[in-house]
Amino acid sequence: MNRFHVITATLIGLMGVALLSGPLSGQPAPQPAPGAITISMESEPARFRVTGSTFIRMIANPNYQAIFSVSVVQPNASEVPQMTGDYTLEQGALVFRPKYPLQPGATYRAVFKLSRESAAQTFTVPKPVIVPTTVVSQVYPTGTEIPQNQLKFYIHFSGSMSKGESSKWIHLLDEFGKEVQQPFLAFDDELWDREFKRITILFDPGRVKTGVRPNREMGLAMEPGKRYTLVIDKEWADATGTPLKETFRRTYTVAPRDNTPLDPKTWRVLSPTAGTRLSVTLDFPETVDSALLMRVIEVQDAAGNPVEGKVTISREETRWAFVPDVPWKAGNYVVSVLSTLEDLAGNKVGRLFEVDTFEEMKADVARVHALPFKVQ
Amino acid sequence: MKRFAILAGVTLAAVSALSAASLRSVGPIAFGPNGVLFVSDPLNGTIVAFESGDNKAGKAGAVNVTEIQPKIAALLGTTADQIAVNDLAVNPISHNIYFSVTRGKGPDAKASVVVADAAGKLSEFPVETAKSTSVTLQNIVADTIGRGGRSARLDAITDIGYADGKVIVAGLSSEEFSSKLRTIAYPFSSANRGASIEIYHGNHGRVETNSPVRTFTTMTVNNELTLLAAYTCTPLVRIPMSQLKDGEKINGATIAEFGAGNTPLDMVVYKKDGANFILMNNTARGVMKIKADKLEGYSAITERVAGIAGVPYETIAALTGVDQMDKWDDSTALVLVKNAGGSHDLKSIALP
Repeated sequence: MNRFHVITATLIGLMGVALLSGPLSGQPAPQPAPGAITISMESEPARFRVTGSTFIRMIANPNYQAIFSVSVVQPNASEVPQMTGDYTLEQGALVFRPKYPLQPGATYRAVFKLSRESAAQTFTVPKPVIVPTTVVSQVYPTGTEIPQNQLKFYIHFSGSMSKGESSKWIHLLDEFGKEVQQPFLAFDDELWDREFKRITILFDPGRVKTGVRPNREMGLAMEPGKRYTLVIDKEWADATGTPLKETFRRTYTVAPRDNTPLDPKTWRVLSPTAGTRLSVTLDFPETVDSALLMRVIEVQDAAGNPVEGKVTISREETRWAFVPDVPWKAGNYVVSVLSTLEDLAGNKVGRLFEVDTFEEMKADVARVHALPFKVQ
Repeated sequence: MKRFAILAGVTLAAVSALSAASLRSVGPIAFGPNGVLFVSDPLNGTIVAFESGDNKAGKAGAVNVTEIQPKIAALLGTTADQIAVNDLAVNPISHNIYFSVTRGKGPDAKASVVVADAAGKLSEFPVETAKSTSVTLQNIVADTIGRGGRSARLDAITDIGYADGKVIVAGLSSEEFSSKLRTIAYPFSSANRGASIEIYHGNHGRVETNSPVRTFTTMTVNNELTLLAAYTCTPLVRIPMSQLKDGEKINGATIAEFGAGNTPLDMVVYKKDGANFILMNNTARGVMKIKADKLEGYSAITERVAGIAGVPYETIAALTGVDQMDKWDDSTALVLVKNAGGSHDLKSIALP
């Protein structure tokens, strides 16, 4: 890691003049050698260093922060506080180590002043130019037809992204290329995964649901029979601050509202053969939520123990397939599906996204749906 | 099916003893008793309670700090575009102001808690060394089945508060559309794992939803401690705290509809001229002063209504661009308000 950027500044040393005051008073007047005070900066790890001061060694109980201040130059603010960090005296040099790494592209001002010794210097941390490589690797749903009450998009990226700007770079355009106003839920804390490679974008449920005011004031975000294009701008920066390699577009045709709950009776399990590592598949009559497909389904043996293996989803998220780590043994198994699985409109097993609220709340549907299959 | 039954029962666990905390992220923050600062860490799925030691009574003087973001950024050695101020909380004893700050933009961004005194002097709260306890919000396990490298779901935390010995945490799932409200007794103990509640509420169109709570407050309604929760587009829902029991599904009563295309941000409860009010700031509909007397007298809205309905309010025209708010003292609020340059100023304002 010898990636040091060393910038050195040599500055005015008002040396060897007059009498001393302040922290040094009461001591015999020292005779500093004529010379210069130098401030240098190193990044990775970040360090600012003052050399050439004669007085610095002579002070008892020094308040280094008052002697050597390092601060970020903020274009729109004056009187900003000093950076937080630690000071040490190392072989006559005063060293400031910021707590946090230096920001590429930012300018830092370091000022040293001790009695008659003073120096000041600004440093700009080089910003490496990175060629854009990050792309939108997939958007779920992957099909081109969505219901009018579509609830969300999952946008997957090939690399980690930066947080806090999604509303700026994601658009929904109508057939004439006109932007649909506020189709998505505004939310401060964006819904990223831990690596910031997948973001969940929720349609504003107020505009998805019937009879709620935004729906009546602003209309539904999408009309059935029309086409809409999801656009993700290439200006969106990834975690390194580099824009995306290209803009992503996908056009969806809007189907009528989906007001049908998921029904396990319509799901089909295809059994594999004993002794093979062929997949067991579960087919749905409609596209279901990609993220939940990966999370809420598992295979269990006759004793209820989970079978280890890998899941893939395909056919526009209508097929879930599971390949076991070791070949199938003959016997009875089940595919277990949590009832939290949702279709594209957020309808769950036995429960619609919208339900008549002022009836008694119905008894819970089963938490798990077990679909038996036999391996032979 | 035994396995599922066990998982379903676990909502909170893993209480850690007093130790240095390792925050991976910071979301909403709130003060509890005696200077205890509750910090949500959404990426770790934890709530950390710091014994801040900041419990010397301090005066709630006038506050007027311009350009707070560049100053916080400078303290953390970076530029204003590289930080996000996620939340603010006033320490009601010392009247120091705490900010939840993310430094950086990517997954390796650093979590920081920055403290401002009433004069605007900034310092970093020592999260690495301050005494703390924490609880893990275990829905990550409870809502996941299967193996094979499938990643656990991550919840966002929309608000956190403290009332009547309990930390209250509202969350939003990044996958299934659901509202989770949790209550956890403080001090944290492994014996009391807390409660996870699903709240449903009515909408005008006679449909119900369990959409996520965006902000909430607590106040006494009809001699009963009551949670008042506000949602996107903007119903206000009333739930007695005594109903918040583990595993329950609750029907909250929608007692007001405050308008569309809007998300409520913060709520401050106060008393003025003998009457109770809630001040609520919003993304699109300004700052609302809501009459909060006799809230038990409003029955749940069950019909479609053409306009705004339920509990009356007025919009305070003089207050615009209020992005964050907390109570400063009995007659003032502390606000983070957008300035002409697009940054924010920190101010104390008289409660209207």
